[in-house]
Amino acid sequence: MNRYKLIVLLLCIPFFASSQDDEKKDYGKLSGGIESNSQYYVDDAKTGDFEQEDPFRSNNYLRLNYTYKNWFAHVQLESYEPNAILNFYPKYNGTDIGTFAVGYKNSKIEVTLGHFYEQFGSGLILRSWEDRQLGINNAIRGANVKYRPTHSLEFSALYGRQRDGFEVSDGSIFGFNAEIGLATLFKFESTGLNLGLSYVGRDEDLDIDNPNFESLTNSFSARLDFSEGNIYSSIEYVKKGEDVYAELGNIIDDKYFDGSAILFNIGYAASGLGIDATFRRMENMAFFSERDESANVFNQNFINFIPALTKQHDYGLTNIFVYQSQPRLTFNPLFKSGEIGGQVDIFYNIKKGTTLGGKYGTKLAFNFSTWSGLKGDFNINDRSYEDTDLFGFGDKYFEEFSLDIKKKWSPKWSSIFSIVNTYYNARYVEDRIGEVNATAVVGEVTRKFDGGKSLRAELSHLFSDDETTERAKNWAGGTLEYNFSSRLSVFATDIWNYGNPDEDQQVHYYTFGGSFTKGATRVMASYGRQRGGLVCVGGICRFVPENTGFTLNLSTSF
Amino acid sequence: MKILNTLILTLMFTSLVFAQDVLPRMQVKTLNGDQIQLEDISKDNQLVIISLWATWCVPCKKELDAISDVYDDWVDETNVKLYAVSVDDSRTVKRVKPLVSGKGWEFDILLDTNSDLKRQLNAPTIPLTLLVKNNKILYRHSGYTPGSEDELFEKIKEFSK
Repeated sequence: MNRYKLIVLLLCIPFFASSQDDEKKDYGKLSGGIESNSQYYVDDAKTGDFEQEDPFRSNNYLRLNYTYKNWFAHVQLESYEPNAILNFYPKYNGTDIGTFAVGYKNSKIEVTLGHFYEQFGSGLILRSWEDRQLGINNAIRGANVKYRPTHSLEFSALYGRQRDGFEVSDGSIFGFNAEIGLATLFKFESTGLNLGLSYVGRDEDLDIDNPNFESLTNSFSARLDFSEGNIYSSIEYVKKGEDVYAELGNIIDDKYFDGSAILFNIGYAASGLGIDATFRRMENMAFFSERDESANVFNQNFINFIPALTKQHDYGLTNIFVYQSQPRLTFNPLFKSGEIGGQVDIFYNIKKGTTLGGKYGTKLAFNFSTWSGLKGDFNINDRSYEDTDLFGFGDKYFEEFSLDIKKKWSPKWSSIFSIVNTYYNARYVEDRIGEVNATAVVGEVTRKFDGGKSLRAELSHLFSDDETTERAKNWAGGTLEYNFSSRLSVFATDIWNYGNPDEDQQVHYYTFGGSFTKGATRVMASYGRQRGGLVCVGGICRFVPENTGFTLNLSTSF
Repeated sequence: MKILNTLILTLMFTSLVFAQDVLPRMQVKTLNGDQIQLEDISKDNQLVIISLWATWCVPCKKELDAISDVYDDWVDETNVKLYAVSVDDSRTVKRVKPLVSGKGWEFDILLDTNSDLKRQLNAPTIPLTLLVKNNKILYRHSGYTPGSEDELFEKIKEFSK
């Protein structure tokens, strides 16, 4: 109960503050937000009954922020009642305090005690973050200190344990980070140059006799960011020290491997044209705050942030074959030691007044991404492997081309055309059989009316040679959306697996609903049938079983 | 239930000081890697639009495209300034610079790579559009539908006086 007392104390600070400082009446500032996502699952004549407990499920979040002069505090209450929505991490259950913190910050120093979110560099070595759709909140509970002696220097040190449901995980995390603005230190005028150095250690003692075992696993990162005129570039190298191997969640106490990552990015940005290219190689880079969580399918206990570097698509049919990054080393069921690949983006604006540009210009976005396994010789019996060459590409996991063309025709009409061609190796990405070649074509048109009204219509088709039962062959889809004003919208959408050779699997996944927005408040209600598969946000995916029902999302802030 | 009661009770006591009417005090990164103080952008009566967006958010990009088409007129008429704060995380943040260039947006771009500002503003969804002057939040709207930029401009005219 001590935690609750602490929170009451925090929230009462304004009163104590006011009694000390009656004249100015500075009570500090309190703000907050509420988010509620509920589902009511129903039986479905086509796809089957809802067979789990609690057809009504609701995820609720209340967050309060308080600031008084240089002091700050927050508390987040979470309630998963009577249960969390389908296929959330099971430890998100019941009602409790999710995160809380107090701290002090001025222009030089920032101290946080309690839960905090932190990211070193790109997050390849450490990131704690929250995503309520995915059910991820790996805030670190402990202490975080940042010191900025000058504009170009920042040092941080942190210690704590990562959030795991309403508890914390077993391993302690230590982190140090330095950001050094070399360009400012050396007084470069037009060149930008920043250096970043990090250390992250995870200490988790296990009952292992092997002399090779060490409870502490160290990782180091060095990175450099550069920019000059229209060109920018960054490079990062991460080394993760030797650690005991875990297979399907079981620790194999006589096998030890280290890991590494290289991330390189270069880009060019001028008016009307932007090009960006990224290369990444990861070998045995999954890094968990608790070793026996290494096989969890809920994206929990990750210390570092290693999402798939591919384009996130916008439509139902372009989100069926979504790549998930493959950072892990595993010998079972397949040998995989990591991934290598990259992506290129090109953004181009065809100028107004040209033949292709028309009166308003035409905007193009192109993406190519390709990912493969690492090349290596392995021995599955004694679980050993050797890399043959650093930049060798092994089996191809995923490859994709996509092009979006956005065009405004007149003040009232605009359209988007999108084509996505995907190769998806389900054997390696999902550990099941099959390879898929698929092409999605999407057209979308928006008609604007007077008084803030508008209509959007979208049609899509997916050509696929997939043979996986629940998504085989071709799909068709469509969406209609009508906006009565900036506040009120209704929509209906459907994707249909009409090409499935099994007639029972030719299912319509439809949803219809509406949303209302006013100021900081938003309400969305819908009814529909959800396709079983991956729900992905920002390259991280959560598996959701097929279901049918009502959805109600509420959010507000105050 | 006990926790909930405690919280509600405490909330009632403190309700006098509720209202998210100011921007949080924090440093935000610019596209060039510099840090700026958020409270500085709207000082001296400068009216600013703050728009939270991401490279993967379709309505966000539609809103910023729509504003981009008329931005020069808005600036001429009201001297308003737009800061588009990208909440892209490290997976997509490298796409911000080429996308902004490719689209020819002429706004100031800020980066909120680990959603610190988004969290402080209690914004579960984007786009989120704010009008701010002297660090005070004067208007708040989430979501984008075609034409809602006209409504925003009416508010801008109202608050720029």
